[in-house]
This record gives sequence, C-alpha cells and structure tokens, in this order.
Amino acid sequence: MLLKLLLGLWLTLIIIAGFSFPITETPTNWYDLPFVPGLEDKARIIFFHVPMAWVTTLAFIISLIYGIKYLAKKEIDHDLISSSSAGLGLMFCILATVTGSLWAKFTWGSFWNWDPRETSIFVLLLIYGAYFALRSAIEGEEKKATLSAVYAIIAGITVPFFIFIMPRIVEGLHPNEAIVSKGKISMNRTMLVIFLSSLSGFTALFFWILNLRVRTERLEHKQSLKGD
Amino acid sequence: MYEFLSQNALYIVLLIVLIGWVGIFSYLLRLDKKMTKLEKMFKE
Repeated sequence: MLLKLLLGLWLTLIIIAGFSFPITETPTNWYDLPFVPGLEDKARIIFFHVPMAWVTTLAFIISLIYGIKYLAKKEIDHDLISSSSAGLGLMFCILATVTGSLWAKFTWGSFWNWDPRETSIFVLLLIYGAYFALRSAIEGEEKKATLSAVYAIIAGITVPFFIFIMPRIVEGLHPNEAIVSKGKISMNRTMLVIFLSSLSGFTALFFWILNLRVRTERLEHKQSLKGD
Repeated sequence: MYEFLSQNALYIVLLIVLIGWVGIFSYLLRLDKKMTKLEKMFKE
C-alpha cells in the first residue's frame, strides 16, 4: 500500500512540475525549463504523451513475451497476462493518439497529418484492434489462447519497427530535436529529470494496472471453470 | 486566487488534470482493495 501511495505522490509531483515550472529562453534557476522554438508551453506535452507511447510499446512487448511463454508451456495464466497486456497497450495507444492529435491541431494546424509516427501508431491501432477481433471470434479456450499467442508474437515483432525504426527512416513533423539533437540529449537537467521521472512513474502505473487486470482475469477464469 | 487563476490559464488546466488524476488514483486504490477481498473469498 505504501508503494502505491508513493507512486500516487510521485505522479502528482510530476504533473505539478510539468505544468508549473517556467519555460525561459535562458534557464538560470534549477526549476527553469528550456525554450523550444515553435513549441513554447506546448513543449510540456513531452512529460505525458511520450510516456504513454513508451508504455504502449512496453505493453505490446510483454504481450509478445507471454505469447512465447504460452506456446512453450501451454499455461493459461500466460495467455491471460499476454491478452491483458495487449489490452492495456491498446488503451495507452489510444490515449497517446488522442493527446498527440489534440496537440497537433494547435502546433501543426490539423488533427491528423500522416506524419510517420502518426501513421505508425495508426497501423498499431489496427493491428491490435484485429488481435481482439480474433480473440472474440474463436471458441474454445486452448485454440483461442494458441492463435492469440501466435498473433501476439507476430504483432509484437512489428512494434519496434513502427515505434523506433520507421519514424527515423522517413522525415516527419515530430519535434525529435527537442529530445535528442545530433546524437546528444538536448533537454536541460530539470527537463530531463521530470521526463525520466514521468517515464518511470508511467511504467510503474502500467504494471499496477496490469496486475489488477490479470487478477480480475484469473478470478473470471476460475469462475468460468466452476460454471463448467 | 480567482484573479490569479483567471490571468494564468495554465494553472486552471493543472487543477483540472490534478482533480482527474486524484480521481483515477483513488479508483485504482479502491479497486485493488476490492480485488484483494475477492481473492480471499475465492480461496476460502
């Protein structure tokens, strides 16, 4: 319980810092954030939107790992973890898409611009939407788990390509230079600390929600076994 | 306070986000407690 309360406090402090620390052209105080040309206050999205995209990637990779585990050991618990993680990944993927789209309207002038990252996330939404369509279409626990695991592995393999490789091959609108410029981190120390704290906070939040979801799925599974 | 908030719109957004976050967090805590109770019931 203490760890969960600390996580709550941790993320509350990140929200407060992310919103209220001033952005200045020449940061001098420890709490000053650097000015990013063309973004101004809109640069603050980095503390919330990027962690959402990161958690999406993490969730899909966990889904892949537990898909492999299921195929190796045929334990239904691994299927429950794999599908729960994919579900959470899809939720964070939608959140990252919506927050990014709103931000794009006020930065680039349109909600959707088919920027490489936008295209990547759209394809991922389709891939994982199809994963749940597949799951709901199959009768029989073992068959559903096996086919889902195979799909989760194939889908998971595409994730690093869509998230990390594709946006770096094709030039896009995303302000990557606000994070990394010429191979070096371009944020000042304060911004980097808030950003990394947010990444770790979102990661911990994801594992907590995943834990809750898996426990619910286990109870439902036990209940369905009792019913049979 | 009202004057400060009306001149600094960013803090109004901060307040709204904080209220949303506290709500989601409290819900997760409650859900966690309920799950633990249910798991105990299932074991018995």
